[in-house]
Amino acid sequence: MAAKKKGKRFITTTVEVEGRVESKIVEVPAFSPVPWGADASLDIVGQRLPRVDSLEKATGRARYTADIKRPGMVWAALVRAHAPHGVVTIDATAARAMPGVLDVITAADVAGVLASAAAKLFDRDVRYSGQPVAAVCAETAEQARVAARAVRVNVEAAPFAVTFEASMADGAPLVRGAGSNYALNSPLVESRGDIAAGLAKAQVTVSLTVRTPCALHSAMEPHGAVAEWEGDRLVVWESTQGIFRVRSNLAAAFKLPHTRVRVICDHMGGGFGAKNAAGPHTYTAALFAKRLQLPVRCIVDREGEQLDTGNRPASEQRITLGARRDGRLTAIKCEAMVPLGIMGWEGGPAQIYHELYSCPNVHTTETFALVNASAMQAFRAPGFVEGAFGLERAMDVLATKLRMDPVALRVRNFAKKDEAKARPWSGNGLLRCYEQGALRFGWPSHGDKPGSRSTPSGGSKAHGAADAQGRNTRRGVGMAAQVWGTGGGPPAYALVRLNSDGTATVLTGTQDLGTGARTVFAQVAAEALGMTMAQVRCVIGDTERLPYTGNSWGSMTTPSVAPAVRMAAEDARTQLFEAAAEMLEVDASTLSSSGGVIRSTSSEKTMTFSDVSRKVGEVCIIGRGSRGPNPQKTGIFSFGAQFAEVEVDVDTGVVRVLRITAAHDCGRVLNPTLAESQLEGGILQGVGYALFEERIMDTRLGMPMNPTLHDYKVPTMADSPRIDAFCVAGADPVANHVGARGLAEPPIIPTAPAIANAVANALGAEPLQIPLTPWRVLALGLQST
Amino acid sequence: MHLHVNGRSREVHPASDASLLTVLRDELQLTGTKEGCDRGECGACTVLVDGRPVYACLTLAVAVDDATIVTVEGLGSNAAPHPVQAAFAALDAAQCGFCTPGQVVSACALLARNAAPTEAEIRDAMSGNLCRCGTYPKIIAAIQAAARGEFGALPVAGSAR
Repeated sequence: MAAKKKGKRFITTTVEVEGRVESKIVEVPAFSPVPWGADASLDIVGQRLPRVDSLEKATGRARYTADIKRPGMVWAALVRAHAPHGVVTIDATAARAMPGVLDVITAADVAGVLASAAAKLFDRDVRYSGQPVAAVCAETAEQARVAARAVRVNVEAAPFAVTFEASMADGAPLVRGAGSNYALNSPLVESRGDIAAGLAKAQVTVSLTVRTPCALHSAMEPHGAVAEWEGDRLVVWESTQGIFRVRSNLAAAFKLPHTRVRVICDHMGGGFGAKNAAGPHTYTAALFAKRLQLPVRCIVDREGEQLDTGNRPASEQRITLGARRDGRLTAIKCEAMVPLGIMGWEGGPAQIYHELYSCPNVHTTETFALVNASAMQAFRAPGFVEGAFGLERAMDVLATKLRMDPVALRVRNFAKKDEAKARPWSGNGLLRCYEQGALRFGWPSHGDKPGSRSTPSGGSKAHGAADAQGRNTRRGVGMAAQVWGTGGGPPAYALVRLNSDGTATVLTGTQDLGTGARTVFAQVAAEALGMTMAQVRCVIGDTERLPYTGNSWGSMTTPSVAPAVRMAAEDARTQLFEAAAEMLEVDASTLSSSGGVIRSTSSEKTMTFSDVSRKVGEVCIIGRGSRGPNPQKTGIFSFGAQFAEVEVDVDTGVVRVLRITAAHDCGRVLNPTLAESQLEGGILQGVGYALFEERIMDTRLGMPMNPTLHDYKVPTMADSPRIDAFCVAGADPVANHVGARGLAEPPIIPTAPAIANAVANALGAEPLQIPLTPWRVLALGLQST
Repeated sequence: MHLHVNGRSREVHPASDASLLTVLRDELQLTGTKEGCDRGECGACTVLVDGRPVYACLTLAVAVDDATIVTVEGLGSNAAPHPVQAAFAALDAAQCGFCTPGQVVSACALLARNAAPTEAEIRDAMSGNLCRCGTYPKIIAAIQAAARGEFGALPVAGSAR
């Protein structure tokens, strides 16, 4: 099975995470399994198997960070400043005297205790509303919460800027008190070809300006940590997307070697990009635990969660598309403005403009403004969700102007390679997504006439007749497409340990955010070992006892870790086959295994894994696997197209999404049921982004006005459309030897523009701003009549 | 005061301002019931009080003295799951799983009062339980399958003992 490779053990390669390209020195694995191509005969990988931990979750037995209770544990609560800018003074006298209060920490207690990583904890300079400025520790959770509210926080108010315009205005207050309000590298210009020439060549142009909201991750499980010092060792349970990153953060903050920090994450209740590092709650728990020599639990409350654990920043995008009459794009231009928050990285809207379509002339400018609002954090396909709304709305407007079917326009501009970096795709099933998605949706074939995209149930252009309930509604359909880098990459490691009873344990230091990582890695190991699922268990989420894997971000856990797991399993199987060959008196190269049974092509005799394991006894067979480098000069991306049908009540402005068809390409699907769940989840977050979700900032007070789940509206079951989500068949053996690319982020990308395009079709007016709340829709309707 | 929790009589000593959620989680170690918002917005803390689904975070513990409480742990176990729990597990109605206990309890309460709900009735009854992973389509399917008896006969009165 294994092709030996000779050459250097470590090489330099590039890795892409959420649009950022990093150059890394990586290990070349000792051997590389033969790639599982599209025609590979697989028994367990690709099957609809239930999640290995689904019953634990349904019976309430799955333990999350806030469920950890250590002997003698006490509770911590954060104190926040509710002002956008100024110098804080804190009076904790009353809080310290309250029942059960054990300790209070402020900036003075942090300075010199926490090193670099947490230097800004409880900063006296408040730069956004919701910034933590102190923490209280008490005997019970209630006592800690009550005492935290009793801490007096005074902010000597300073001028602030919470909008892009205010931050960039002449004489604007310096958001960070010094430097510039431009975030690093702004304005960021990316260009290919000659945009002026491209626009000059255009026979048809469209220009529009769109606005997208600031959206909040809103995982159901808030951020939280439980910390305990065992002598000079720090043990932290954390709800995180990256246990090893949290370990590094804590080691740096407390000046500890990695040997003395252990981070554990068993089950975790969603992250969506907001849980990629240690946070104030983590340092607070660890610091109180050290001061009090007691275990400490610190869970962020819902208000804190909505105020200060990350967001997808708002954007304004000014877009111009130029095309020939046949629909071929000659120019794509976008100028984007993003109020980033007090910090963040530049996952901006522009990149998708370079990657989704074939076009010789593309020019984007992004300006990121620092504003006095909490920092952005990557939120499921950061930048691409915002950018897709602008680009895909513009494509829809262009299709209308060209009197061309929106699918046909996209097919005409299909990119046969990654034009942004002038390299081939590892694989690209986008055309099949268009074709199969349109077919399953029932996309109207006569859509090349403007306004003819109505469904049998309603006329898009006809002024809506009252329906059976007396509502004045119109229906419309729309679609949009998506691209997203999903190659993953090294470093990622796994061990497969064969136990003496013929079972196998997969050890890999990743985390399962609800994606099903535990399940699919057990599938990959069982497949590669030739064992049954019941014989394999996957252990994750412990920095002390498991080999390194990176953060679960950038849709990279499956394509990064699955190849390492497969290699480890093949390594273990090879070792066991050597023992079995001795017992069966055959050559090891004649052996194969499936369903837990080992067979030889040169003998009738068979053995089970447990037969062999029992005979070898407690001989420790451990297979080692590592993720090899990605193919160079190859773009590894996942693609998709979504189709939406909406019903718009023209009297109330309420938009209902009736159904979504989603066709995606991510190479090999390891478990179709779990893949569909991922797709449905991304789509539902996209529905929220399109219709409800918006952090409302009071620009005069500089404070968010809706830091609750009542006022920040995420979709409920009643809002859930009928979803037909699927992945087109195939595998991508160029990307890695498992053939799988990532799928977690792609499905949120095209949902909002598909919905907005459907609303445009229903109303004959162009929505340019989301969320499409009733008042915005009513304003559109008035324009159209 | 006493609570009859999951078939056992428990003596508890809550502070006058303690919520039922705090008592269940911190005093009785029944951590299946989750805290997602502590203000009655998300439904992760849903439990049955005398057969009715309530948000435990908004229920004062002292107000339910002598009541019969069923939490997600009381509905079934890994070894003997409630049909609704078995349906959730089999049909992938949990992703991260954090909201799942509340969803399961609300679903059991629905099926106890309406053994054959329409899809519209399911959507209405379940819309007080938020899920951010987007498992709603799978939850609807799981409730429908459980209602059809595909995962065993439903206990009478939704097992609210």
